[in-house]
Amino acid sequence: MNGHCNGNDIVAEFHCNNNGSGFGELSIEAMKSALQRKHETSRKEAEDASRQSSLEAEDASRQSSLEAAVSTILRVLGEDTNRQGLLRTPKRAAEALQFFTSGYHENIHDIMNEAIFDEDHDEMVIVKDIDMFSHCEHHMVPFYGVVHIGYLPNKKILGLSKLARVVGAFSKRFQVQERLTKQIATAISEGLQTRGVAVVIEAKHMCMQMRGVQKINASTVTSTMLGFFREDPKTREEFLTLIKK
Amino acid sequence: MECSKHCHQYGQSEKKDAGDSDAVIVGHFDGKMVRKPTLPAAAGECSSSQTPNTSSSVVESRERTRSVEDNEMSLPCLAAAYTTILRGLGEDPQRQGLLKTPWRAAEAMQFFTKGYQEKIMDVMNDAIFDEDHDEMVIVKDIDMFSMCEHHLVPIIGRVHIGYLPNKRVLGLSKLARIVEIYCRRLQVQERLTKQIAVAITEALQPSGVGVVIEATHMCMVMRGVQKMNSKTVTSTMLGVFREDPKTRDEFLTLIRR
Repeated sequence: MNGHCNGNDIVAEFHCNNNGSGFGELSIEAMKSALQRKHETSRKEAEDASRQSSLEAEDASRQSSLEAAVSTILRVLGEDTNRQGLLRTPKRAAEALQFFTSGYHENIHDIMNEAIFDEDHDEMVIVKDIDMFSHCEHHMVPFYGVVHIGYLPNKKILGLSKLARVVGAFSKRFQVQERLTKQIATAISEGLQTRGVAVVIEAKHMCMQMRGVQKINASTVTSTMLGFFREDPKTREEFLTLIKK
Repeated sequence: MECSKHCHQYGQSEKKDAGDSDAVIVGHFDGKMVRKPTLPAAAGECSSSQTPNTSSSVVESRERTRSVEDNEMSLPCLAAAYTTILRGLGEDPQRQGLLKTPWRAAEAMQFFTKGYQEKIMDVMNDAIFDEDHDEMVIVKDIDMFSMCEHHLVPIIGRVHIGYLPNKRVLGLSKLARIVEIYCRRLQVQERLTKQIAVAITEALQPSGVGVVIEATHMCMVMRGVQKMNSKTVTSTMLGVFREDPKTRDEFLTLIRR
């Protein structure tokens, strides 16, 4: 059969690829299903691409609504949005806000599960002075400080940096310090099945420093004690002594 | 745009200063700015951007006046913008902790930019005294909070001010008040330093002024390069502080901890 190979015609393609002889390595049925798979794959790819582009469009429209809101804020506060220093501020501020709330999109299980190791260690593990930055959900103003985490493993330990990543995932949200402390403790306790977890956060709230009562040196300390840290005073005391400066 | 009908272009309630007509000391080199009359906005519009002052011969100024009434009128518009931001970031503005947040955040932001509604003359007029003192006067470690105009993220720092009086001294707390007026704005640290120095120079006509600001920029600490311990130091030296190295040295030594 002469003629050009036409991908839409399975039989013609079969003959084309096999020099007209009916015998080839593949049967017609196999060719047919291969072609069908190719159509299905390309349809799936098209669907994925369109889903991706609609997600991107959603992100873009969310970004532009953030930028518009920042632009409104600048104007209403009395600034000149056309002056050089403020021309790109809506975009920068919108990106900064998205960075400061990136914790909403993080999956704690994914963060922790990759770095859980079996280890026959049953003594206290402490990571202290983890720098933390969050935003107060009442005024949308930063609060910053340090987090101290201690846990008593139960045959499983966690990669140390993952403790800091868990802090990051919960702190990059609009938060209340009490809730932040508890969320970190609960995530570690549940993720590792520990015998106890202790979390202490010491932070300065800029909503108290920059405005309101304007107390610059005031520091807020919150703690959550779970398991042995709650039941046994001596364990708790050991942790609190070890995190002291 | 989600703006309430109460928004209006501010500037409608501007009043003239006592003293010089049409002028307000803004702390720039030539000291005076002719305030251009602003056009009244249509009712229901959320303020459109003001036309920049291009016709005047003065240096480009970022001075604005804003009044307490303007603040009250524009609060709903600001709160609506914050609600949009919360929603756009994926939060639920209806949950208990966030219910009144747009209003609180709007008031907080108005507080952080209250420098726009304050004028130097109001602060300085009463507290300039004739005093035959010609030695250095320093007020150091004045806590300062400002907002970075690029990212709208706080700047935390300390201001050290020194001046050599020329028969006139200023009430000490007024130096801190001058810092407040200029730092409570959307700022760049370099400009803030210069504005403070120039304001003091023009009000007191001293022999010299030195201003040093040491600040932590949260836009560098909390995001971007994320350098926790970085500090930015800027200084402005005017008059004798600029010309005489020994005077400058004395000032820098005395402000060192």
